[in-house]
This record gives sequence, C-alpha cells and structure tokens, in this order.
Amino acid sequence: MEDRNPYILIVDDERGLRLGTQRLLQSEDFTVDTAENGTEGILLGTRNDYDLAIIDMKMPDIDGLEVLKEIKKARPNTVCFIATAFASYDTAIEATRIGAYSYIPKPFTPEELLHQLEKGYNQRVLTIEAEKLRKEREERLLELASEQSRLKTIINSISGGVLVVNKSGEVVYFNNAALKNLNLDSLTIGQYILDKIPEKATEIVSGFIDGATAENLTKSIQIELIKDTLFVEIICSTVLNNDSSFAGVVLIIRNITEMKKIELVKSQFVSMVAHELKTPVAAVQGFLKIILDDSIPITEDQQREYLSRSVGRLQGLLDLVNDLLDISRMELKTKQRELGSLRLKEILESTVQFLKFECEHKNIQVISGIPDNLPVLHADHNELTRLFTNIISNAIKYNIENGKIFITVTEEKHYLVIAISDTGIGLKEEDRKKLFHEFFRAKNEKTRGISGTGLGLTIVQRIVDSYHGKITVESEYGKGSTFKIYLPKTNK
Amino acid sequence: MALIAIIDDDPDIIEASSLVLKSKGYEVVTASNPDDGFKIVTENNPDLIILDVMMDEPDDGFFLAQKFKRNNITTPILMYTSVSKTIGFEFGSGDMVPVEDFVEKPISPDQLIEKVKNLLK
Repeated sequence: MEDRNPYILIVDDERGLRLGTQRLLQSEDFTVDTAENGTEGILLGTRNDYDLAIIDMKMPDIDGLEVLKEIKKARPNTVCFIATAFASYDTAIEATRIGAYSYIPKPFTPEELLHQLEKGYNQRVLTIEAEKLRKEREERLLELASEQSRLKTIINSISGGVLVVNKSGEVVYFNNAALKNLNLDSLTIGQYILDKIPEKATEIVSGFIDGATAENLTKSIQIELIKDTLFVEIICSTVLNNDSSFAGVVLIIRNITEMKKIELVKSQFVSMVAHELKTPVAAVQGFLKIILDDSIPITEDQQREYLSRSVGRLQGLLDLVNDLLDISRMELKTKQRELGSLRLKEILESTVQFLKFECEHKNIQVISGIPDNLPVLHADHNELTRLFTNIISNAIKYNIENGKIFITVTEEKHYLVIAISDTGIGLKEEDRKKLFHEFFRAKNEKTRGISGTGLGLTIVQRIVDSYHGKITVESEYGKGSTFKIYLPKTNK
Repeated sequence: MALIAIIDDDPDIIEASSLVLKSKGYEVVTASNPDDGFKIVTENNPDLIILDVMMDEPDDGFFLAQKFKRNNITTPILMYTSVSKTIGFEFGSGDMVPVEDFVEKPISPDQLIEKVKNLLK
C-alpha cells in the first residue's frame, strides 16, 4: 500500500467543489474518483476498495449518512469523512456511530483537508496492517491446529502404544494402542499411572524419574500380561526439555504375542531336535561302554553285533543331520536354486534307478506309466530328485516283501500330477494326519525296525510348497498308500 | 534277585540296559511302548521300573508313570530322560511327575547300577 498513491473517492453533488477538490488532491499525488450523487457514490464506494472517501452530507438523491453506511458495510476499512456545511453535534455523532472516521466542516481550506486526509490515511494503513497480522496469526493457528491433529491421527493410527508420563508419574499423553496393549479400559490425562502399568515397567519408569537423568536413556522389557494371550514389549525412554533437563518418560508398548508364539514353536523344535540327536548318541554310547566295561561279560559275536548296530545308529544320526541342514537351508533360502527345464520322466526314472538296490533287496517291482510328451518343468534338478527320492524310498521302506510300486504322471488343468502308490503297510487315520509333522514317524507293530529321520516328508512338503504345488495322501492301513504330488505347469 | 522292567521305545537302549543289569544278576522284562509297558508291570509285578520319558509322544512316559500311581502300583520308577535341560523341566522333585529318580541319557553302566541299587534298598 505504501508503494502506491492513496486512492480516494469524492462524493459530492456540487460540481465546483468536486472538481476543485479533485484537482487539489491529484496535485498531491492522490488517485481520485468522483461521484456526483449518492447513488453513484454507493456504486463506486462498494465496488472499489478506496483508502479514503469524502462524502457530502446533503445530496438530492440519497443522504450522505446512507451512502456512508453502504460503503462501510461493503468496505469496512475505507476511511470515510463526512463533509457538510450544516455542522451539528448530532449529525457528527450519528456519522461516527455509523463508521465515519471524522467530520470535515465546509468550507475547508486545502491545508485543513490534507491534514485530515493524512491522519485518515495513516489510520487506514494501520488498520490494514493490523488486519494482515491478525489474518496471518489465524492462518498459522489453523496450520498449527491441523499439524497437531495430523500428528494425533498418526500416533493414534500406529499399532504401537505410546504413553508419556511426567516427573510426577502422571499421564501426559497416550494413544488408543497404549490402552489396548496394556489391557487397560481407560486412562485420563493427569491421572497417576505408575500403579496401573505392569510392575516391571513401573520399576524402570520410577528409576528414570528418581534419577531425573539429564541424558537420553532407553530400557526395554518383555512382559506376559495375559497368560498365553498377550505378550508386550515396553520400551521406556527419557524425555528431555530443550535445556536438557528431565521432563518425563515415553513408553512404547508393542504387542509381541505372535513373535512369542513363533519363538515357542522354535524352542519346541529345538528340543525335539535335541532329543532326536541325543537318542542315537545314547544308544551308541551304551553299547561302547558295555564293550569297554570288563565287568560285563559279552561274547565276541555280541561285541560285533553291538558295533554294527552302533554304526547303523551313527548312519541314522548322519542322515538326520543332513536332513536338518537341508531344512535349515530351505528356510534360510541360502541354497541357490538352479532352475532349468526338466523332463519329469527322466528324473523319475533316474530316481528309481538310484533306488534299484533297495528295491531288489525286498524284491519290489516298480511299474510306471509316464507319457513321453509331458510338458517340461522349470525347476531345480536337485530339489525334484530329493522330493521323489524321499517318497519312493518311503514306498520301498514301508512296503511288503515282493510288493509293488506304481508311478504315473497325468495332466490335470494347470498341474502335472505325479502319483506314487505302494502295496505296503499303509497308514492309520490318526497317523495320516500327523504325517508331515517334523519328526513324526508312524509307530506300530508293522513299522518296527524301519529306520528314518522323521523329516523326509517334512522336506517333501517344503519342496512342494516352494513350487506352489500341493501333496495329498490316500491310505488304507494294511493295504498301502498313494501320494499325489501336484506341480504347476510352467507357463511358457 | 530283583526283577526290573525296562520300558523304552529304543531297542538298542533296551538291549544295552538289559545286558548291564543282567551282568549284575538282575532279571529283566522289557516293553517298547506304553501299553505293553503297563501290561508287563501288572503281569510280572517287578521290583523296579525303568521308564523312558519320551516314546510315541513327547511325554507319554509321564502319563504312564501317572497311570501306575492311579492304579496303586507303588513300584519305584527310575525315569530315563534325554532333553530335560532343553525343555526346561527342573527334574528332581517327584511332585509333578510321580517317579523316584531321574537319570539323563546317555547312561554309563556304573551310573545305572548305582541308581538301581539305591532304589532297590
């Protein structure tokens, strides 16, 4: 506004006065509009944002006060003067009440007029400046408010609980997840909290508060809040003021129930593995100690038998370790997969060839019906070989003497279906369900003497899963089992 | 001489344990699963039971021990364990598992004989 000339409107029905004033003001660098009656005055005064307006009180069409009222209504910041020859105390008061800045008695000298206008113009500058500041402040407040509400929304949306406690142990802030993860029904800002949160967390928070440490400290703790249902991790950190003095403690409360469940499964697996590894070691050690113990008399034949049984157990242990390593590699995915275009027929035939000795040992006949024109599979050669070796060797191990194994491959929609059937001992229904569990081995009078790690089918399942395939088992106890492996055809 | 029942699903452990006990003059009956185990105990009324903690299921040795007590069989039980430390059980108290003593596999012949002698006193 300082950069431009003051913009003024003169509303007066007296032509001479109007033009005289206009000329005077233009020479003083005002930008001047004029209106020769009240109607025109209202029109211009409401349309343009004038800095100043001089309004004649007495006009033939509309009264000056009416013009003033209209202009002030539309343009409250236009500084208006009422000019009249008929000065009276009442009209002055009335004009001021409606919003006139001042009152100019006619006739006026140029000095008087310019002095009044200067004062009015300064007022206008101040008003506009004040208005601008007020607007800016309002905008900033609005921004601040929306920033705060945005933060609040974000903090309320995260699944981790956030709880802030001041030096007196009172809640200063909390989000919804804090209530949920601490299993609390409600909290109030200002409420004493240290008797509401788990004891171990209270110890940490109290420790921070008592120490009033002026440094960033973090301690965390895991707590089982509801047995087998809710495990939380609480991370407590000191909150410092700008001057680094101690302000309070912020607690982040995470629900780690799922993680704990996985940990439990893992530790159960570890204890199963430990048991499985220790069993053959115990057997071998038992035999060796007997052989070494002079107080236990055994024959040379017995000694030989125990040594050969020990060798068998150690072989079993070795197989188990290898299976475990395979599973661990599959889980860690450290084993580089070498995908190639494979012919199922070749893999199945070479697997059967590889197990020929075991088949002949039990006089088992393998009958296969594998078409020559099967689509090629895009897969890892070693993995597929391992998959079929495990299933076919089971079909041999759990078969009867002089039994049969049938291998067929068919195409079923998007899958290649490999069916491997045996005429063996079959599975009881309760065993069939647990077949793919780690270390599960069917135990009954018929399986006695059959060795295995209990991981063969676990590995099969994992290989099949890794190719997005599936495996089904049909079985009748005493008659035999059929394993069907569905491998998706490669889209090419 | 005392009669000892050995119940364990590992035939090699049964073999080795039997041999050690027989070499010291004990008589032995054996079973390789909980059902047969219950049967040989009720039929032979042994002086001591050696029971493996884990057979078909991770803790069916415990259940068999409880079954003996429920059926008023008060024969002392020596329990074979293999993974006590990893599964976190603090063995040694008979409150939870009604057995007289534990021995962790692998077991040396001397240790086995000593435990057996103690329990048969």
